[in-house]
Amino acid sequence: MIELAHVTKRFGDVAAVDDISLRIAKGKFCALVGTSGCGKSTTLRMINRLIAHSDGDIILDGQPIDAYDPVKLRRRIGYVIQHTGLFPHWTVARNIGLVPRLLKWSAADVQAKVEELMKLLGLPVDEFAAKYPHQLSGGQAQRVGVARALAADPDILLMDEPFGALDPITREKLQDELSRLQARMHKTVVFVTHDMDEALRLADHLVVMREGRIVQQGSPLALLQQPNDPFVESLLGGLERGLKQAALTRIKDHMSPMGPTLPAQSRIPAAFSLRQGLSMMLRDHTDRLTVVDQHDVPVGELTLRKIVKEAQPEQGKVRES
Amino acid sequence: MSLLDALPTPQVSWRQWRPNRVLLVLFSAMLAAIWLLDVVSVSPNRIVSGEEAGLIEAIGWVGALLVSGVMLTLLALSLQPSHQGYQVALVGVSLLLLLLPFGLMVASHRLISSDTPQARLNMGMAYWLMLSLLLLCWIELRLRLTLSRRRSTLMLLGVLLVWGVCAILGLDSLALGQELRARDDEFWRALRQHVTLVSASVAISIGLGLTLAMLMRRYAKCQKIAFGVLNFLQTIPSIALFGLMLGPLAWLAAQWPLLSQLGVSGIGWAPALLALVAYSLLPMVRNTYIALEQVSPETLEAARGMGMRNSQRFFQVRLPLALPVLLEGIRITTVQAIGLTAVAALIGAGGLGAFIFQGLGQAAMDMVLLGALPILMLALIADAGLGALADILRPNATAQSGDSQ
Amino acid sequence: MNPSVGRRSLGLHGANRAIWPAVWFALLMLCVWGFPHADGVLRSLEPDANQVVYQRASLASLLLQHLFVVSVAAVVTIVGGVLAAIAVTREGGRDFLPMVAQVASLGQTFPPVAVLALAVPALGFGTLPIIVALVLYGMLPIVRNTLGGLQDVDKDIKSAAIAMGMTPWQVLRQVELPLAAPVILAGIRTSVTINISTAAIGATVGARNLGDPIIAGIVNGNMAYIVQGALTIALLALTVDSLFERFQERLRSRLYTS
Repeated sequence: MIELAHVTKRFGDVAAVDDISLRIAKGKFCALVGTSGCGKSTTLRMINRLIAHSDGDIILDGQPIDAYDPVKLRRRIGYVIQHTGLFPHWTVARNIGLVPRLLKWSAADVQAKVEELMKLLGLPVDEFAAKYPHQLSGGQAQRVGVARALAADPDILLMDEPFGALDPITREKLQDELSRLQARMHKTVVFVTHDMDEALRLADHLVVMREGRIVQQGSPLALLQQPNDPFVESLLGGLERGLKQAALTRIKDHMSPMGPTLPAQSRIPAAFSLRQGLSMMLRDHTDRLTVVDQHDVPVGELTLRKIVKEAQPEQGKVRES
Repeated sequence: MSLLDALPTPQVSWRQWRPNRVLLVLFSAMLAAIWLLDVVSVSPNRIVSGEEAGLIEAIGWVGALLVSGVMLTLLALSLQPSHQGYQVALVGVSLLLLLLPFGLMVASHRLISSDTPQARLNMGMAYWLMLSLLLLCWIELRLRLTLSRRRSTLMLLGVLLVWGVCAILGLDSLALGQELRARDDEFWRALRQHVTLVSASVAISIGLGLTLAMLMRRYAKCQKIAFGVLNFLQTIPSIALFGLMLGPLAWLAAQWPLLSQLGVSGIGWAPALLALVAYSLLPMVRNTYIALEQVSPETLEAARGMGMRNSQRFFQVRLPLALPVLLEGIRITTVQAIGLTAVAALIGAGGLGAFIFQGLGQAAMDMVLLGALPILMLALIADAGLGALADILRPNATAQSGDSQ
Repeated sequence: MNPSVGRRSLGLHGANRAIWPAVWFALLMLCVWGFPHADGVLRSLEPDANQVVYQRASLASLLLQHLFVVSVAAVVTIVGGVLAAIAVTREGGRDFLPMVAQVASLGQTFPPVAVLALAVPALGFGTLPIIVALVLYGMLPIVRNTLGGLQDVDKDIKSAAIAMGMTPWQVLRQVELPLAAPVILAGIRTSVTINISTAAIGATVGARNLGDPIIAGIVNGNMAYIVQGALTIALLALTVDSLFERFQERLRSRLYTS
């Protein structure tokens, strides 16, 4: 668990991070979102002591971080940055095996771990192990970056705009893979990004920052339903907020049982998002879709009327999350 | 693996107190130098080595305390530095620099009696050390206060001026001055020769370098070969190249009397000039080539888009943008040529190097200094002057003028 | 602007660089062993002189002397220069960084001859002042390039290295130095090349080395002496320089094999 209590970082007279408090439960994915210069990266870098905080407490697993030896602390926290920071003079395999070697694992263990991670991240060992970073595409390099961060099996993973320099298609692919990994590994992740869609897509807990302060935090759904500030609202996309919210909801949560009428022509899988459902309605000029399961068997239907009605904010329920 | 493995090793940060350690070291070294090493030495004439004198012998108790007092003050200032502190320190360092010639005047007054006009006063180890340490302090303070190159150069020139005045007014017995007076004409002639040779070789290599660089841009194949040859020339030790120039030129002069009437011979300025140009070409061509190549293609494309003709593009866009790097090439070439011309004295080209080699031959160290110090000054002046010029010519001159580099 | 960088990228000799050190070395050996027996050839240069083969000392012994002085100076400069540059880029010595950087670049405007000349009054004649002058002067390009190389290491890479939990020593040893190595080597090459040349001028202050025959030739007007000294020393410089070139090539290909 990571806890920040009234943490402040001053560079000279300027407070880059100003009295922020934050609590990230074990196994949760927390995204820090904001425009550049809002202090989100500084916050991240204070957690592994790349930057020393000026005031307040940062507590990891019940101990203030100052109590840890910084070098040992960092070996137990994974770290991924935008431009990968891979060592250009080392092969992919050597880059990934860095932290295990620092921890004095046996050569065989390191080798096994490297191969395991390469497989996990979709980098065929035969093809990539001996390559150098400059021979990789941006997406491949960032996979190596993630593998390197995961190599010593850390509980905590810090990611500083890891996909910021990638093209939209690669970015989306890597986001999917990260969700998949997270569902499997349950790391405590702190993820810095300026891309609200990315944050909404990945995070359990969203923290919006501006000028060194936290403007609002909560679950993605809670923020979408109740932004408490015009800045947060504009970050959330203003008028398109509804669609973003719909993207976070599954169709199966909104479908109704099959009615007595004939099933609609258009069919959509239950696992899709509400946003995709709405899009299909617009495309097919209909206000009714047949929802099917993975075997293409109809299981219910989705109507525009019901969606619109259920999109009303249910205040009490949302606050809690 | 648990985070708890990383416990403990508590770390305390107590570094509130931050003295300027650079100045601290420099001022301490200075204090040690003036008290422990010989400050000046007195020799009865030109060749005999002198008798050394310490600080108190040289400038008396009062002077010694005064100088030490200034240094201790500066030492104290560097313990807890601030912007004002640095400004005061700069004044203090300038003061010490200005006091250097006065110290010599006092020393000559105390140590040399008027009935031995031949006696010479030499600056001792401590003096030279103090001079260099003060200059290092100067550099440090300049960097801390982010003074511009122009302003700090002006300040140093002021100090030099005071030194000059002192040297003329009250330093008859200083060895260097005596040496200069003894060969006054010779010195100025050598200086002229030196400057002429350097300017000629730089001028020729600018012309040749530009031409070569242009040719290389046109004929890409030549580029590799040309750089190869120039690189090869640059690698050959100067003394060897100067030596090898003697033979062919002597032969040429023997074949064509016209050439020898012009003053070309195996020995003298002609082989020196040739070798100097050969050395100057590599930095010149390289920088010209890089300067012309580095102008961004977008800018040139834009110029073409605006409808500029080829020649207009070259003279109005490419050349002005390339100028600072080109000047950098001229700077490197000039500084290098000033040093190499000193070596050229070995093959009879004259110049200030002649004093060095003659002085070394006669074991007359003052004469060596008479050659070496002006060469050093020339190199520094050329470096600073051409550097400042390049700063001014940089397109974003206003942004660069405050830069301390 | 780093002179050695341009020299590297616009390098000499095309594809088959590998043979050049061998070629220069073979020619050097030919000079050293051939000149004493080449009376006839040398005689054609200087028909009137009563002696054309330089005999005050064998070229081989002069070459060894020259190499000795340059190597001693090189070892001291490389160790001292690299250590100094490392020291001022660490936390503890960072205060000294701006001044050292300034001095290293300013010092290179000092002509080597002037430095050599100034070393003599301070230290006397002979081999020692030459070594001291070579060390003082040769240190500058190495310090400057080492500083440049270390500072040019990508901030992200350094930051990642620290964040992965490398100790400062590990960051230096495994990341900074290997990445700065090509630039450092370029500095060493510049330094050694200058030193070979400056050491020869040292013959005027009583050191025995390959500058001797040249000086003797100039003084006596004996072109044959000059040719013996000049060719030998030129070939020595070319051999060493091409060896460095080769070494740099190897280093680069080891850093970024394709």
